[in-house]
Amino acid sequence: MKLFTETLYDALGQSFRIDKVYFENKTEHQHLMIFHNAMLGRVMVLDGIVQTTEKDEFIYHEMMAHVPLLAHGKARRVLIIGGGDGAMLREVLQHSSIEQVTMVEIDQAVIDMAREHLPNHSRGAFEDPRTNLVIANGMDFVRDTDMRFDVIISDSTDPIGPGEILFSDDFYAQCKRILTQDGVIATQNGVPFFQLDEVRTTAKRLSQHFTDTSFYSAAVPTYYGGIMTFAWGSNQPALRHVDIETLKHRYTASGISTRYYTPEIHKAAFALPKYIVDAIDGSGA
Amino acid sequence: MNERPLQYGASASERQHYIELVKQHGSPLLVVYRQRLLQQVSLLRAQLPGVSLYYAIKAFPHTGILKILADADVNFDVASAGEIEMLQQLNISGRRTIHTHPIKKDSEIRAALRGGSTTFVIDNIEELRKLLPYRQRVGVLLRVSFRSESAKVDLSRKFGCAPAQVLDILQQASAIGVHIRGLSFHVGSQSLTPDAHVSAITHCIELIDKAEQQYGRPMNVLDIGGGFPVDYAATGIDYDAYFEPIRETLASSLPDHIEVIAEPGRFLVAPAVTGIATVAGTARRGDYPWYYLDDGVYGSYSGQLFDHAIYPLQVLNTSPERQASILAGPTCDSIDVIAEDILLPELKEGDLVIGHMMGAYTYATATRFNSLSGAQIIIV
Repeated sequence: MKLFTETLYDALGQSFRIDKVYFENKTEHQHLMIFHNAMLGRVMVLDGIVQTTEKDEFIYHEMMAHVPLLAHGKARRVLIIGGGDGAMLREVLQHSSIEQVTMVEIDQAVIDMAREHLPNHSRGAFEDPRTNLVIANGMDFVRDTDMRFDVIISDSTDPIGPGEILFSDDFYAQCKRILTQDGVIATQNGVPFFQLDEVRTTAKRLSQHFTDTSFYSAAVPTYYGGIMTFAWGSNQPALRHVDIETLKHRYTASGISTRYYTPEIHKAAFALPKYIVDAIDGSGA
Repeated sequence: MNERPLQYGASASERQHYIELVKQHGSPLLVVYRQRLLQQVSLLRAQLPGVSLYYAIKAFPHTGILKILADADVNFDVASAGEIEMLQQLNISGRRTIHTHPIKKDSEIRAALRGGSTTFVIDNIEELRKLLPYRQRVGVLLRVSFRSESAKVDLSRKFGCAPAQVLDILQQASAIGVHIRGLSFHVGSQSLTPDAHVSAITHCIELIDKAEQQYGRPMNVLDIGGGFPVDYAATGIDYDAYFEPIRETLASSLPDHIEVIAEPGRFLVAPAVTGIATVAGTARRGDYPWYYLDDGVYGSYSGQLFDHAIYPLQVLNTSPERQASILAGPTCDSIDVIAEDILLPELKEGDLVIGHMMGAYTYATATRFNSLSGAQIIIV
C-alpha cells in the first residue's frame, strides 16, 4: 500500500492512502502530485502539502468566493491570484453579475494538470468568455496592472514557497491600489491552531493598508488542525456588517447554488475563537 | 605513511568486464555496482539492528544511487537545497530526510521546508533563532561535539557544541518556545575504532536523561552520525568486532523511546564504486616512466586531496618486470599526480588502470578544471 504523508509539520502529519497516482512531477515552480483516494476522490498536493481534494474543496472555494462577493453586492470585476485548479474561477463565475474574472497563476503546469486530472474543479470555467487567464507572478501583475477590481481573492499556497510574496506588505499595498473604492480583498491564511504567527503577521500588515481588517473562518477537513482563516481587508467597513436579510436577498438574486455557504454561515464565520482574537489584538492591529 | 594496495593482473572475466565497459561507454568511468551497494546496506543493518539509516548524499550525490537506496528503504541525510532538489526529482518525500547542516541561510531553511525536510540540526543559539519563524513546523536536533582520536577527518572542530553547553542551550531553546527533540554527534570520518562512538552514545544518553528530568519533555532521537570505516588499505576490517561495542552500548543503555538514526555516506558507497581510467600517453622523464591517465586528482581522484584517501589500484598487465613509475592525471597542473614511486609493469597507451573503493568523495568533489567533463557514471 502506498501512503502519502504530508510534510507540513515535523511532529505530526496526516496520511492518505494513494489508490492511484495520476501525475507526479517537479515543475519549474513546485513539486506537484495528483492522486486518488477512496474517501476524498482526487487529491492535489504541492510541495508535500495538500492543496485541494474533490471531496471537500467546495467548503474552501465557496467561502472564499461568495463571502466577499455577496458582502460587496455589486461586484463586476474580480481578480483571483493563484487558484490554478480552476475551482475559485468556477465559483466566482456562478454570479451572473460578474462581467470579467482575471485569474493570475504563476505555474502553467498546475493549470494544465488540473484541467486534465482535476476536471471537476474547473468544470469548464477556463472556457467561459468572462475568464481572462494570465500566467504571471501575482506580485508583478498587481504592481503593473492598470485594471481595477471590486473583489480580489488571493488563493495562494502557504507563505513558504512561491506564495511567499503574496503575504508581503508590498502585495497588500498594491492590492489596495487596484481595488475600487468599496472593494474588498480576501486571502487564504492557513490553520491558526498550528500557525498562529500567520494570523499575527497578516493582521499587522493588512491593517496598514485597510481601515477595516478582520478574519473569517471555515473548517476544511483536509487542512489539518481545525478551522482555517481567511483574511479580510477593505476600506468600506459596512461590507463586513451587511445584515442577514440583505445577504439572503443577494444570495437568491445571484443565482448561485451552494453546498456550504448560506447567508447565516456568512454572518457566523466572522465570529472568531478567543485565541485568534487575542493573537490579532496582540499584533497591534 | 599508508601503503597503497596494488594489484597486478585480473581474472579473464574481470579483464573482459572492464574492457567491455570501456568499449561500450568510453573512458574514464565510475562504475556503480548495485549489488555491492545493497550489500553494504545489509551489512550495516545487520551490525546496527534497529538503527534507521540516512544516506549522506554528499558522499556521492547521484540520482542513480539515491534511487537504489530509496528502493531499499534507506532514508537521506541532506545538507543543501540542491540535494533536496535531487530527491524531489525522484519523487522521494522530504519525510525521509533530515537536514544535517548546522549552519544555514534562511533561504536554505525555506527551501528545505518546501522540500518537506522538517528536521534540522543546530549547534548554537543563533542558529536556533533562525528557526524561530518556523517553530511549529520544524523538529530540531542539537549537535554535540565529541572528538575522535582515531578519525582521519576530524569534524568536531568545525561543528558541534561542547557537552557542557547542552543543558544551557536546551534551557534557552525552551525559553523561546522551541523544542529540541534529540541530540546528534559526528565523531569524524573513517573512524578506525568504535571507542569514540561508544563514549559519545553514553554521554548523549546521560544528557537526554538529564534534559527530560529538567524540562519534563522527552527527547526521542539520537543521531549517531557516520564515520564507520571502509577498508582502503585492503588489510581486512573485522566489522563484527568493530560494531559490537556500539551495538552493546545501545542495547544496554538506550531508553526504549529513543529512535537511533545514523548517517552513513562513505560506508555505503565507497566499496560499491570502481574507477576505470585509460593511459592517454606515456613519457620517460629522468629515471621514471610517466603514465598520463584520462582521470586524475582534479577528477575522480580528487578524494586523494580533499578526503585524504588512498585508493587501491589495479593494472591488468601481469609482467613481473616492474619499475618505480609515476601515474599522473590529465590536467596541466603539476599537482595532478595520482601516485609517485609506484611499482608498475610497463604500460602502453590504451591500457586500463582500475581504482577500487572509489565511491565516497570522488565524483562528489571532482572539478571541471581544464574543461574536462570527468568520468561518466554508469550503474551495473
